[in-house]
Amino acid sequence: MSPSSRAGGAVVLRDVTVGYPNNPVFTGLSFDIAPGQFVYIVGPSGSGKSTLLKLLHGSLRPEHGVVVVDGLPLHQMRSWQTAEVRRRVGCVFQDFELLPHLTAFENVLLPLQLAHPRIRRSREYAMEALEVVGLSDKVDEIPGRLSGGQQQRVAIARAIAHQPRVLLADEPTGNVDSPTSAEIMELFADLNGMGSTVIMATHDEWVLASFPAPTLSIELPPPPVRKAS
Amino acid sequence: MTNIVASSGWIPTYSASVAAYCWRCWRARALVWAGTVAAVGAILALAANAELFVFLAQRGLSAQMQSASEFQVFLADGAQPDQVAALQQQIGGVPGVRGTRIRSKNEALGIAKRSASLSGLVTGDSSDNPFPASIVVTLGDPAAADRIAALAGSSPASDRQVPTSYTPSEARRLSTALSLAQAVLVGIGLAALAVACLVGLALVRGELRARRAELRILVLVGTPRPVIRLPVLVEAVSVALCGTAIATVSLLLVGVRVVPAVNAALPFLQLGSAVQATTVIALATLVSSVLALGACSLMVRLPR
Repeated sequence: MSPSSRAGGAVVLRDVTVGYPNNPVFTGLSFDIAPGQFVYIVGPSGSGKSTLLKLLHGSLRPEHGVVVVDGLPLHQMRSWQTAEVRRRVGCVFQDFELLPHLTAFENVLLPLQLAHPRIRRSREYAMEALEVVGLSDKVDEIPGRLSGGQQQRVAIARAIAHQPRVLLADEPTGNVDSPTSAEIMELFADLNGMGSTVIMATHDEWVLASFPAPTLSIELPPPPVRKAS
Repeated sequence: MTNIVASSGWIPTYSASVAAYCWRCWRARALVWAGTVAAVGAILALAANAELFVFLAQRGLSAQMQSASEFQVFLADGAQPDQVAALQQQIGGVPGVRGTRIRSKNEALGIAKRSASLSGLVTGDSSDNPFPASIVVTLGDPAAADRIAALAGSSPASDRQVPTSYTPSEARRLSTALSLAQAVLVGIGLAALAVACLVGLALVRGELRARRAELRILVLVGTPRPVIRLPVLVEAVSVALCGTAIATVSLLLVGVRVVPAVNAALPFLQLGSAVQATTVIALATLVSSVLALGACSLMVRLPR
């Protein structure tokens, strides 16, 4: 795939409600993200940034509304159908989600081998992703022997190894120092430059100031409605 | 980064990757797997051997039942031909009788020699033949046995002590015993399968619990659900196959050693040859355990 053919996927939300009827995380949320855009999702803790990313990743279904990622209607998908969207989307999870008994290389390779049947030279691509994140000398280390920043970079390598059309990142700089944050942000910018849509949840003021991009603000949800006794 | 090129001939590579993944999952839990195989094998072996004995006993009863449709009126050794002919004609006229024929003492001896349960009574001296001649009556309706028994009891041609081969009440008892044996056979099979399923389900649940984090991550990165389930399915089916292998070995040992010993020690309880029964039970155990444990492995839910 050339960068032009790997144009990022569009994201569309229309009147989305997530949560319980008397305790919604957000209601009536609507926005469009154009293909190839870099967007920050910002908001205070508890405002639903991670929930929104889970929605875009197919881990949550909205109570109401339309969620379309790269042309796939997630709001209509059953759990067994979400694998398709996850193959097009790369996700950097807040708590890394690495397998502790696998090496850094295996953590990148295994999803590539199992989730992407048509990628043939998966070992080569896994190694290249680790090189891109600067971990070519740590390929045989298990996550327990890596620092928080290195584990974060393994998670990023896993998310970008299949060159996703949409990259979702949940506080990717939350556990790393400033130089590492800068490296991660440059990596995301490179990936965005290759055509991928990047959606990143953060409350890191330094990142927002150093790498300016359009921002989607989410407010804290209203307090739960309590029935009068 | 190098742009990824999708491959058209991906199936062999992907199959190898999935097989390697299954192997890695199995290797990580080989000890638990071996323990489960031993437990399932023991359960299936116990059930298969119990089924073997019930099956052989049921087969014996079934053979008796089959011969019971051939009702015999035993003739006295001194019966005159005209008396025998008159009795045969009377029996032939009873409603529900399909046909009659005379079986001579020599014919009866020949049948006894071929019978596993009666051959012990046959001596080498053919002049000392204890088996009586008889009128063999083919019954269309078992209820006709009552009237034939009454005719035989009043005829001078019939044996005074044992006029007929069985009484209608004996036939009913035989039929009941046969139904009971068949029910026991099915019951043992189902109970064993249920216990094996519970053990197999415990293995599958343990497997999923142990790999919960891994499964969640594989689901999150978009691994197709059938691929995630495959190692669990392979484990369950391999448990069924190996458990059946253990059961079959024990079944063969019992069939070759124990059944002939029972036949030799208890001449009144002739179980016959176990070869055919062993094959049938082994195949039934294989099919049912693979289907049941395979289905169990697919019933466990995966994370969204």
